[in-house]
Amino acid sequence: MSDLDDFKATYFDECSELLLELEEQFAAIEDGDRSSDRLNAVFRAIHSIKGGGGAFGFQSLVGFAHAYETLLDHVRDGRVELSEHTTALCIKSNDIVADFIAAAREGTELAPDYGADEKAQFDALTRGEVPEGEEGGEHIEEFDIDFTPVMVKIADDVEPAPAADGDDSFAAAPLVVEPGHWEIKFTPHSELYARANDPLLLFRELAGLGEIQVRAVFEDVPPLADFEPFGVYCAWEISLQSPTVTEATIAEVFEFVDGNCDLSIAQLTSTPAAAGAAPAKAAEPAEDAEPAPSFADLAASIVPTPRPAPVAAAPKPPALKAVPADDDHGDDRRSGPDDRRNGVQSIRVDLDKIDRVVNMVGELVITQSMLTQQMDEVLRARYQELVRGLEVLAQTTRGLQDSVMAIRAQPVKSVFSRMPRLMRELATKTGKKIKLETIGENTEIDKTIIEQLSDPLTHMIRNSADHGIETPEKRRAAGKNETGTIRLSAEQAGGNILIIVEDDGAGINRDRVLQVARDRMVVGPDQQLTEEQIDQLIFAPGFSTASEVSDISGRGVGMDVVLSNIKKIGGSVHVKSWTGKGTRMTLRLPLTLAVLDVMLVKVAASPYVIPLSSIVETIQCSRANFSRMPTGNQVLQVRGEYVQVVDLASRFRMQTEATDESRFVVLCEAEGGVKVALIVDDIIGQQQVVIKSLEENFQSIDGIAGGTILGDGNVALIVDVQGLKSTIAHKSAA
Amino acid sequence: MRVLTVDDSRTILAMLHHTLSNAGFEVLQAEDGQKGLDVLKTESVDVVITDINMPVMDGIEFIKNVRASGLYNSLPILILTTETSQDKRDQGRSAGGTGWIVKPFDPEKLISVIHRVVH
Repeated sequence: MSDLDDFKATYFDECSELLLELEEQFAAIEDGDRSSDRLNAVFRAIHSIKGGGGAFGFQSLVGFAHAYETLLDHVRDGRVELSEHTTALCIKSNDIVADFIAAAREGTELAPDYGADEKAQFDALTRGEVPEGEEGGEHIEEFDIDFTPVMVKIADDVEPAPAADGDDSFAAAPLVVEPGHWEIKFTPHSELYARANDPLLLFRELAGLGEIQVRAVFEDVPPLADFEPFGVYCAWEISLQSPTVTEATIAEVFEFVDGNCDLSIAQLTSTPAAAGAAPAKAAEPAEDAEPAPSFADLAASIVPTPRPAPVAAAPKPPALKAVPADDDHGDDRRSGPDDRRNGVQSIRVDLDKIDRVVNMVGELVITQSMLTQQMDEVLRARYQELVRGLEVLAQTTRGLQDSVMAIRAQPVKSVFSRMPRLMRELATKTGKKIKLETIGENTEIDKTIIEQLSDPLTHMIRNSADHGIETPEKRRAAGKNETGTIRLSAEQAGGNILIIVEDDGAGINRDRVLQVARDRMVVGPDQQLTEEQIDQLIFAPGFSTASEVSDISGRGVGMDVVLSNIKKIGGSVHVKSWTGKGTRMTLRLPLTLAVLDVMLVKVAASPYVIPLSSIVETIQCSRANFSRMPTGNQVLQVRGEYVQVVDLASRFRMQTEATDESRFVVLCEAEGGVKVALIVDDIIGQQQVVIKSLEENFQSIDGIAGGTILGDGNVALIVDVQGLKSTIAHKSAA
Repeated sequence: MRVLTVDDSRTILAMLHHTLSNAGFEVLQAEDGQKGLDVLKTESVDVVITDINMPVMDGIEFIKNVRASGLYNSLPILILTTETSQDKRDQGRSAGGTGWIVKPFDPEKLISVIHRVVH
């Protein structure tokens, strides 16, 4: 059944979210936050997992979740203390719940006793605190019952017929139960009406069981002077004739009003000898039933009855109906306003569909900039309306683009929330004490980037925990807090998102790094590197300094993979380390993958684009202050700072006829604040471009981050400032 | 007939929607009590089905608020619950709940319960 499959898909989606939520909540609980909000959120998550699971008959999941939920219920009530042990049990159980869910999704079977230990512990904890015992172990069966019938308490004055039989003075005349003939006495209390229950509906339901006669009892109606309009004065006596009905069935009709009324249900009895006598109180009305013809017809008798609770019987209060009329459309109470106000705050859309929109918007941006480019001065002067229209188009396109990007944006929370758990595992494995702090988890970033972020972040945190943070003994010896801190933060900086992993560990051991790099010929024996260059070596392929290969950071495949993953999504990584104080790794990521603000430049007659976010300033070559280093390298002096110069034409091995007089220096800042001066032949302007991957369509090229199609249809390459900078670093070191 | 369903679980909301709309009801949805109240401000409904455990405003508070407004004294409110221990259900009733539905619900049962409380 496809409907069911749809629901299941929704359910499993929801479960994934709830599992993340659990993880997050327990991370906070572990940090000592045991506020009722947290506990309630945890309870709700398990509750929802159980509720949905029950609907699909995932019995083992439901059974486990129920025991867990019961414990959580006790915890939030304060009946069970949330000790460290209990917290650990819960965290472990979250994994078990996840396994149950996974098994349900895959349709696989887990071992029959899977999670039995934990479940037993739940039950023990729950029972331990509450000796009068909750339901013990047999929880599951409750969920096989769609509706738990609740027995109606029968008013004390009506005893079951046989008992009355014993004590009664009428004992001489044996009572005979008339099968299928029931007498019901029903006196509502005011709460019954306050809860929107309606006697008429109860009678209607009774009428569904068999033939009924209803008699209103007005004895308690006060004189008019004392009459309260909302008072409750009326009672009813109903006789029901049905050969099959049981007391339980009748009681079920009154299930919802249990406790809000006096109710007696009795099977009619009569003595074979004296049928006219009233043998028991309950039987009394039966004698009167016949001579009350005015109540013979249910509908006729009930509706005109001066019922003391008009609220319950009244049609909807006018206030409810008046509102839709506000819409000023005569008959639009059908579906128009409903759709708008269905309370649905979000819809789920296939990512493919959004990507199609993103792509088309990208193309639209290109077309729009092409149109703008083709407006020359003559056209501008002649068609002012067109110019204005194009300006509006540009604005709208920009707005459209931002909105589309916002659809794809998601908070980094979804990645960050996986880290506390990783941290726990790492702390256990390494025997170190580590605390994880997260900041800025609501920072939003493109979904594709988020998906690519998990692995690099995991590697970075592992690296920090494994190599950065010291053992408690070492930390104590260094006068630090025994517990190391790893701080994971996200923030938006201009057109970029910065994700920073910082630890307060020992910092990078530069001597070792350099030694290893020399041993592995990553760095030549005579190369002199700056501290920063040494730090960056940890990203070199196949580089690992861990004296023993641990199963945590692995065999040095970590950091170079981080670098290549991050590069793939248009980002960069920078590491900065302070000996004895810690290390900070910064990921700089684009807000979105699709569109880039760039400066369009010309190098040897070909267009190139440079990401605007990396440009500091532009200077005319004729006014720039160049000088040569003894090595022969050209440098630019800017405000007392010497900056490496890269002539893009010669870097990309192209002939240019441009002279220094007409050329420009584009001063860029690469990761870590290192500047590089790019010499270009001309600056054409600024625009937005849609990035097209070179790797996907061709192959990766050093110094080029990708390609793009310009408004006039030409292809331009995107200069990889970070990449150029690192080639300089290597060269200058050589 | 119009039903307002209030539940923080998308799965339950979807299943309610499916069952109820198949039975010819018009279904409105809200994800918590506060949103449920917001819907009631602008929409007229014949019956409300609400979960108990919800963020922001739970079902008990929601029912109390609905009844306290005085505008919906005759609006039937069904409590949706998996609580087999009766205390939550009783709290819901004390707050003004008309009846209850135990999850997981059987579609036919669900409809019949609604008919029990709606004219």
